[in-house]
Amino acid sequence: MRRYERPVFSLIYRMVRDRALAEDLAQETFIKVLNGIRSYRPEFKFSSWIFKIANNAAIDQLRRRDLDTLSLDGSPHAQTADEIQATALQLDGGAESPLDAVTSRELGGQIERAIARLRPEYRACILLRHVEGHSYEEIAQMLDLPLGTVKTYIHRARNELRGYLERVRD
Amino acid sequence: MMMHPPHPHLTPDEIELWAQGLLGAAGALHLAECRECLVHAEQERKLARDLANLPRFGPEFGFIERVMAHVRVPTPSGDFRA
Repeated sequence: MRRYERPVFSLIYRMVRDRALAEDLAQETFIKVLNGIRSYRPEFKFSSWIFKIANNAAIDQLRRRDLDTLSLDGSPHAQTADEIQATALQLDGGAESPLDAVTSRELGGQIERAIARLRPEYRACILLRHVEGHSYEEIAQMLDLPLGTVKTYIHRARNELRGYLERVRD
Repeated sequence: MMMHPPHPHLTPDEIELWAQGLLGAAGALHLAECRECLVHAEQERKLARDLANLPRFGPEFGFIERVMAHVRVPTPSGDFRA
């Protein structure tokens, strides 16, 4: 369990961008894994099974709370300055909690902000591929997506990340 | 007169192979002659490195204990205890 504690927590944290929520979801993930260990099918990699449960927990949460429309820089779907302002998370206000401050510090870098702007399904794919180092085939299995779709999502995610990073660095 | 490289521009898969040192000779030759592909490939490699170098975060102290408090542990009789 210790082996997967940080990778699973990191994935969920970057997906939901809320430390306390990520903690709850990571806990839920490991409880499901350990209580459901008898349903594990050894033809799949154990790590794939854990990350699948973790990703499902994060995606379910994002769907429930629609957190994907929130980011430090406002919704990626916002078209005008007012819309961006209205959907941006304010992390430097006086009401910032200690946990918010930790999140702001940890996920405040340019690349973290760029990741936050991706659609959740792109975000999951790029994190599993380039941060966790899983193969395209493993990611397809984890996310129940066709291999071609995973490749497309990762390609688009990389393009969006490069585009965003070029804009903020210019 | 400028010669065009015979190999078409590299695909995303080929760029990834290049970043891993696995690109074939024809692709490598194209890359040596095509500045557009080289710039793109280097940007992709930098992004992949930046992502791979992101830190891993850990949950708060006592995480495993909190998880184990909810795990049903089998007893010798075959039942489970919480």
